[in-house]
Amino acid sequence: MEKYRTAITIGLVGAAITLLFGGWSMILVGTVVGAITGLNYGQHSAKRGALDKAREVLLPALIGNIIMGLGGTLYTFVVVPLTGKSLNYDQPLKLGTGRVPLDSIAVFIIGLAAGIAIGVAVAALIAYLQGLPENVRRVAFIASLIVFLFGLPFFDQVTGLDWIAAIITIQIFILLALGLNIVVGYAGLLDLGYAAFFAIGAYTTGLLSSPQIDIYWNFWLVIWVAAAMAAFAGLVLGAPTLPLRGDYLAIVTLGFGEIIPVVFRNLISVKLVEPFTRICFVGCDPKVDVVRWCIYACQGALDLTAGEKGINPIGRPMIPFTDELLFSSRSYLPWYFLVFGLIVLSIFFIRRLRNSRIGRAWMAIREDELAASQMGIDPVKTKLLAFSMGATFSGFAGAFYGSYISAIFPSVFDFSVSVIILCMVILGGLGNMVGVIIGGILIMGTDRLFLPQIATLLKDFMRHSVLGNVSNPVLKDFLEISVDPNQMRLAIFGLVLVIMMVVRPEGLVPSEERRAELHEGEEEHGDAATEAAA
Amino acid sequence: MQLVRRFLPLVIGIYLLLFFGPLAGFDFFRIVGEIYNKPSLLLQQLINGLANGSIVAIVALGYTLVYGIIELVNFAHGDVFMLGAFMALTVIGATGVTETSTASEKLTAALLAGAAAIIFCGVINVIIERFAYRRLRNAPRLAPLISAIGVSFIVQNIGLFWGGLRSFFPIMGVNSAAPKAFPDLIGRVDVFKDWFGLDLPITLSTKELMVIVVAAALMVGLRLLVQYTKIGKAMRATAENRDAAKIMGIDIDRVISFTFLLGGALAGAAGLMFGLYNNTVVFTMGFTGGLRAFTSAVLGGIGNITGAMFGGILIGLLAAFSDQYFSSRWTNAWVFAILVTVMVFRPTGLMGENVGQKA
Amino acid sequence: MSMLEVQNIHTYYDNIHALKGISLNVNEGEIVTLIGANGAGKSTTLKTISGLTKPREGAVRLHGNPLHTLPAHKIVEQGIIMVPEGRRVFGVLTVSENLEMGAFARNDKQAIAQDLEKVYSLFPRLKERRNQLAGTLSGGEQQMLATGRGLMGRPRVLLLDEPSMGLAPVLVDLIFDTIQQLHKQGTTILLVEQNARMALQVADRGYVLQSGEIVLSDSAENLRANESVQKAYLGIS
Repeated sequence: MEKYRTAITIGLVGAAITLLFGGWSMILVGTVVGAITGLNYGQHSAKRGALDKAREVLLPALIGNIIMGLGGTLYTFVVVPLTGKSLNYDQPLKLGTGRVPLDSIAVFIIGLAAGIAIGVAVAALIAYLQGLPENVRRVAFIASLIVFLFGLPFFDQVTGLDWIAAIITIQIFILLALGLNIVVGYAGLLDLGYAAFFAIGAYTTGLLSSPQIDIYWNFWLVIWVAAAMAAFAGLVLGAPTLPLRGDYLAIVTLGFGEIIPVVFRNLISVKLVEPFTRICFVGCDPKVDVVRWCIYACQGALDLTAGEKGINPIGRPMIPFTDELLFSSRSYLPWYFLVFGLIVLSIFFIRRLRNSRIGRAWMAIREDELAASQMGIDPVKTKLLAFSMGATFSGFAGAFYGSYISAIFPSVFDFSVSVIILCMVILGGLGNMVGVIIGGILIMGTDRLFLPQIATLLKDFMRHSVLGNVSNPVLKDFLEISVDPNQMRLAIFGLVLVIMMVVRPEGLVPSEERRAELHEGEEEHGDAATEAAA
Repeated sequence: MQLVRRFLPLVIGIYLLLFFGPLAGFDFFRIVGEIYNKPSLLLQQLINGLANGSIVAIVALGYTLVYGIIELVNFAHGDVFMLGAFMALTVIGATGVTETSTASEKLTAALLAGAAAIIFCGVINVIIERFAYRRLRNAPRLAPLISAIGVSFIVQNIGLFWGGLRSFFPIMGVNSAAPKAFPDLIGRVDVFKDWFGLDLPITLSTKELMVIVVAAALMVGLRLLVQYTKIGKAMRATAENRDAAKIMGIDIDRVISFTFLLGGALAGAAGLMFGLYNNTVVFTMGFTGGLRAFTSAVLGGIGNITGAMFGGILIGLLAAFSDQYFSSRWTNAWVFAILVTVMVFRPTGLMGENVGQKA
Repeated sequence: MSMLEVQNIHTYYDNIHALKGISLNVNEGEIVTLIGANGAGKSTTLKTISGLTKPREGAVRLHGNPLHTLPAHKIVEQGIIMVPEGRRVFGVLTVSENLEMGAFARNDKQAIAQDLEKVYSLFPRLKERRNQLAGTLSGGEQQMLATGRGLMGRPRVLLLDEPSMGLAPVLVDLIFDTIQQLHKQGTTILLVEQNARMALQVADRGYVLQSGEIVLSDSAENLRANESVQKAYLGIS
C-alpha cells in the first residue's frame, strides 16, 4: 500500500476536480494525473531502463486514475441529481458548426473510459521518458507538453467544458507571477505592491489605443511601450526602497501599490498650471487660465483615466493578412495562443537572465547584501534591475489584459491582487519557475474554476435539496446567504500564506538548498528538548 | 555653496509638490484662500482630526508594542481593530439599545460592547500570535511578515462573513460587504454651547469629548502599566534584549503573549470608539485604519510608545485636513506618501525608534 | 555529589560543532574557572548551562536533576543565575529597576529588599546612581550592576561570563575582589575568563578549554604551575 501512496494522493486531488466537473473533465484531469504520476514514479523508481519504468508505473497510474474516475462517477450520479439536474441531459459535442448529439450518461462513460485509459498511457509515456538519456528526455518532455497545451483549447471548445476563459486568466497571472518571482524569488526583495506595475501596463495600453485620449496605436507597438513604462516605473518605485531593510522595503512597496491605483482612479480632470506664474500647460481653459503656452488638452481639464468608469473599449491586436476581427470577443483561441506565446517567450528570457551575471548577482544580493557588495556587485544597480525586469513582465501582462478584456477598471489592481500573486510565488517555491507556474495554476485555478464551481453546485444543491427541508427561517437565511465559497477567497489565500510560512516555507517545488536553510533554525533553539535519556 | 547643495533637493521637492499637487487636491493657493476666508472651518477640522487621531493613536500603540518586542509588523492588527468594531456592533445590536433609549441604557450597552470588544480582540490577538507567529520567531525576517499578511486576509474574511450574518444579527444590515450603520449612542450635544453657554463658531460635541477623554485615559493607563508594573518592566526588558531577559527568569513566551493581549485589547477599545464616533463600520476599515495607525507608529518612531501617540494625532490631523482641503479620495494616498517619505528619509521617526537586539 | 554537573554535552551553532563532549562539575561553595582562548567555547558552555542554547547531546544536572530539558527561565528558578558576557544591562531601565529584574523569579518581598541592601553595600557606587538609567553608566559600573543583578536572584550557582572584559585594570581588581568576597560568603561560582592569571588566583579548580574540548582539569594551584598553561595563557615562557 505504501508504494501506491503517491499515486493515491494524486488521484484524490484529481478526484476533487472531477467531482465538481464530471464528464469530459475526466479526460483532462486523467491526462494530468497520469503525467504527474508518471513523472513522480519515473524519477524515484529504482529501475533504470525506460521500458521498466513505464511498466512499473502502470499499476499505480491505474489506481490513481480509477480514484480520479470515482470523482467523476460521484459527480454524474450523486452531485448532478442533488443539484436539481436530471440524471440524463443533453451534452452535445461542438464540432465547428455541427453538433454531435450525446447525453450526459454517454459522456460519462466515454470520459471515464478515455480518462483512465489516456491517464495510464500518459503515465507510461512520461515514466518511459524518465528512463531516456538526459537531452532526449528534455526534448521529448517539452514536445509532449507543447502537444498537450496546443490541444487543450480545442478539446475545451469541442467538449464544451468552457474552462478556456479561466485558463487564459490563469495564464495572465502566471505571467505576473513569473515577473514577481524575479523580484521576490531571485533578488529576495519582498514586493507587496506588484499590482501597481500591472496597472501601469494596462493603463498605458488603455491610453494608447482607445478613445480616451483619441490615440489608436497598433497593439504590437503598444505592448512594448507598456512594458517599457512598467520597467521605468520599476526604477522609479524601486529607487526609494534601496536603503531599506526587508520589512520596511515591503511596506514601502505596499504604499506605492496603494498610491498608484488611487492615482489612476482620480486622474479625471488633469490640469497642469505653473504655480507662481499661473501659466497653463495641460488642460487649459482659455476663458479661465493664463494661457501662454497650452501644450495639451486646451479646451479644458483632461480626463485621463475615466476614474471608476474605466477605459473602454481598448484596441485589439491585428495580424497582417488575417481577418481584422481575429482577436475579438468571439473566440478565445487566438487570445489563448497569444498569451501562451508571451509566457513561452518570457520563460525563455527569464531563464537567460537567471543564468547570466545579473541573475547570479541577484542571488548574491538575496543571500547576503553586504558580502555581495564586497565581491564587486553594485547593490543599487542590481536591485533596480530586479525591480524593472520584474515590472516589465507585468507590463506585458497588463497590455495583454487591457486588450483582452477591452476595458480596465481601477478596482482590478488593488492590494489583494498583489497578495494573490505573492501567494502563487510562495506556494510554488521562491525562485523556482516551475514551482511558480504550478503555484499560479493552483491558486488561480482555485479562484476562477474551483471555487465558482463549488459555489454554483452548492447553491443549486441548497436550493434543490436543502432549503426546502429547513423550517427555521434564521437557519434558512443563513444557509442561503452566508454559505458562499466565493466569499471565502480572502481566507483561503490568507491560509495558504500562513500555512506555507509555518509548515513549508520553501514552497511546493523547492530547491534543495532553500529547504535546508529554512528548516535549520528549528533544530537547535529546540522548543522541547528531546534529550530524555542523557 | 554647501547650504545650496543640502537644501536643493528639498526646494525642488517642494516646487514639484506645488506644481503637481493640484492633481492630488493639493492646490496651495486655493487652500490658503479657503482657510483665510473661513478659519473656523479649519479649527473645526482640527477638532475632528484630534478625535479620529486619538483613535488612530490607540491602534498605533498596538503596532508599536509588538514591533518593539519582536520586530514584526503585525499586519493583522488593523483587522483586529475592525473585529472590535464588529463585536461592539453585535453586542449593541443584541441589547436592542438604540438612539432613542435612555442614557443609562445607552451607557450600559456601550460598556458591555466595550468589554466584549476588549476581551474578544485581546484573546484573538493572543491566538494569532500563538499559531501564526510564534514558530517563526527564529525564521528569516520576512516569514512572519508574510504570515501576518495571510492572517490579515483571514481576519478580513471573518469580518466579511460576520457582516453577512444578518440572520443572527439583524443589525448587520442586508449586505455583508457594505458598510453598516453603528448606532449613535452619544449624540451630538455641543459642549461649548450647552455646557458652557459659549457661542463659538466651532463646536466641540460630546462625541469628540468622549473619544479624546477615553483615548487619553487609555494612553495614560498604558504608560503607567509599562513604566511601573512588574510585567511592564519585563516587557521593556524583553524588548531591549531577549536573552538577557530570559536569564532573569522572565518567561519570554508569556511576556510576548501578554503584549499581544494588550495590543488586541487596545484595538478592541479603539474599534468601539470608532463605531461610536463615526457611526459606520465596514469590513475593510481595518486595512485603511491599520495603515494609518502603522504610519503613525513609524512617524513617531517605531517601538516608541509616546511617539505612537503623537504620531497618531498628527496623522489624524493630517487626514482631517486632507479630507477637507484636498479631497477625501486622495487622503489615503497622502497618508501613504507620508509613510513612504518617513521610511525613506527618516526611518527612526520623529521621536526616535526603540527596538532592541535579540541577544 | 557535585552540585552542578555537565555531562558530555555537544552543542552546535547551525552546523558548527562548538562543544565536542564537555564534561565538568562544580561542588558546593567552590569557585571553578573555565579558561581558554577566544572561540574555544567558554561562553557557549555557560549559555548551554543557562539554557540560552540547547545541547544536541549530553546533560546538565543540578543535584542530579536535569536542567538541559528546561527552558531558560525555569533554569533561573532552579537557582542557576548567569551574568552574561558584555554585561547586557537593560539600558532603558534604571539601576534599581535592573536590580529588581534580577529578582524577577522570586516572590519573597522582604528577602528581596534585604538582598537589595546587601548589593548596595557591596557596590556603593550603584546606590549613588540608583535612579539613573543603566544605559548611562560606565563600563565598570555596568559590570557591577550586572553582577549585582545576578546576585539579586539569590543564586545557588553563579555563572560569570568574562566579567573582566573591557575593564580598566583597577576595575578588574575590584571585580575579582568582589568575586573573592562572594566566595567567602559561600556562593558557588563557575567563572569563565580570558584573564587566566586572575581567574586562577581566585579559583579553587580549573578546566582548560580548547576548540570545544576540555584538555586539562586540575586544581588552580597545579594549573598555575603547569608549563603548557603558563606558556599558552599566563604569558610566561
